[in-house]
Amino acid sequence: VAEADIISTVEFNHSGELLATGDKGGRVVIFQQEQENKIQSLSRGEYNVYSTFQSHEPEFDYLKSLEIEEKINKIRWLPQKNAAQFLLSTNDKTIKLWKISERDKRPEGYNLKEEDGRYRDPSTVTTLRVPVFRPMDLMVEASPRRIFANAHTYHINSISINSDYETYLSADDLRINLWHLEITDRSFNIVDIKPANMEELTEVITAAEFHPNSCNTFVYSSSKGTIRLCDMRASALCDRHSKLFEEPEDPSNRSFFSEIISSISDVKFSHSGRYMMTRDYLSVKIWDLNMENRPVETYQVHEYLRSKLCSLYENDCIFDKFECCWNGSDSVVMTGSYNNFFRMFDRNTKRDITLEASRENNKPRTVLKPRKVCASGKRKKDEISVDSLDFNKKILHTAWHPKENIIAVATTNNLYIFQDKVN
Amino acid sequence: MEFRLEAHRIVSISLGKIYSARGQRGGLKLHKNLLVSLVLRSARRVYLGEPGGECGLPPRPRDPPPPDCERLRRGGYRPLGSEAAARGRVECPAESPRKRSAVERGQAAGSPGKKPRREAEPSPPQEDMETGNVASLISIFGSSFSGLLGKERGAAEASEPGQVCCEQPVLRSLNPWSTAIVAF
Repeated sequence: VAEADIISTVEFNHSGELLATGDKGGRVVIFQQEQENKIQSLSRGEYNVYSTFQSHEPEFDYLKSLEIEEKINKIRWLPQKNAAQFLLSTNDKTIKLWKISERDKRPEGYNLKEEDGRYRDPSTVTTLRVPVFRPMDLMVEASPRRIFANAHTYHINSISINSDYETYLSADDLRINLWHLEITDRSFNIVDIKPANMEELTEVITAAEFHPNSCNTFVYSSSKGTIRLCDMRASALCDRHSKLFEEPEDPSNRSFFSEIISSISDVKFSHSGRYMMTRDYLSVKIWDLNMENRPVETYQVHEYLRSKLCSLYENDCIFDKFECCWNGSDSVVMTGSYNNFFRMFDRNTKRDITLEASRENNKPRTVLKPRKVCASGKRKKDEISVDSLDFNKKILHTAWHPKENIIAVATTNNLYIFQDKVN
Repeated sequence: MEFRLEAHRIVSISLGKIYSARGQRGGLKLHKNLLVSLVLRSARRVYLGEPGGECGLPPRPRDPPPPDCERLRRGGYRPLGSEAAARGRVECPAESPRKRSAVERGQAAGSPGKKPRREAEPSPPQEDMETGNVASLISIFGSSFSGLLGKERGAAEASEPGQVCCEQPVLRSLNPWSTAIVAF
């Protein structure tokens, strides 16, 4: 597997018509859903490649003698305001605003230029004509409109667009900055948890997100398993949280690796804004914003890994950062696991399912078969034992269409799009 | 003994990760290295048999307790886990330097805290040269990396005579790490 092809982020736009992926090589690939013929469609439109462009290139910081990776850490779409689409993409240090626009007409009939662009000898021009627009093959162009650089000392892990659609935040390990989409030479620092003496460092910021409805509210999660909700109206520097969400640790589960597995890898608000979901190494937790002392729901993603934490520490898998996502109605949540498995939890029925994203086991247009991992003891037919799980096949990034039951699941270097059966 | 072997293994793995992190593309990953250093600290405490190190222990049945724990208990030391569990949260001294010193002050006040600690001070099995080197590495590493690993009491280090063997190549590689984290 070419390292540059490893998918590092997946995101649907607000309508669900477009799906963007970023990879380790700094490229962004956008897929567009076919506008299906509704009369004779048996399924929703397929997603085809719409645009591909190089968003970030590797850079070198000469002052620190460090290479800056071109890997795209996050992509976030802006809501559509006109014919063009806009998205923010970020690597470890620099955020870029990209405009993606379609061109399906071009001017023809210039006086001073030939059709192929060569300039005509002015002495050969004997008549004048007005150039006209003629249809052409659709071309999708991506152009960088803003570059937001030099604001982060540490590695950017999150970007989140505010509900005012004018500002956005970017978070690195120790700081969160607030930007205006139009202004690139200035950003405001709104959270700073860097200790005066770096040797006293005990926790870092792992993810941050704006509230979907309240433009003054955002949350950030930490490596210690806490989530802080901040109100920007309270003060310019939101170092004091308005709310602190933390579940007391279960002392019977204490191990060398308790701290690592409690580190939160992703935080996502529900579409309603009433709940938020966090992902740590072994579980997904749903929090009610009105209750700080414990989550209202907890779902075990792969509890059978708890007894294997030492091996997972050895092979670095324990540091994998899994993301999570809500469906459009906030009734189901989804997250990835190993062996190309991904899990869905229905909050209403309390049922969960494990599915696999792989070409060998699933032909196109077949229904996915639920999978089961056998934690211990006698393995039933069709079950997979923990020891035969492939830990190199991990699903870290998943996305759910904002309106329909269409999901995008990224394995190491492949993107799978699944939808529910349309009868 | 088994838990100390496991702790030793985790210490070696952690040191290896910190060492190899230096050459990574894209620079030092602060989050990962912080987590590794927290694991290293917990494992080191267990390995050296320090009070509070039991917080890092994986859960195991208490009968019979491992030999080192037996010695500590006889000295009047109470595992932190049991009293903290009643509070619903394990306030492991490894959490932060501030919390740690408060806990240790409480233990030292009872003075049994210090005596059994010296008794329990391990002389790592010398039949395994590698283990001995790692123990001395940990002390050296600990003294040059005070913030994350906790302030060392002079008594602790002095009671490990004959362990001064210093792995020069590894030490050189550890020092840039502490320099790097300060540069951050």
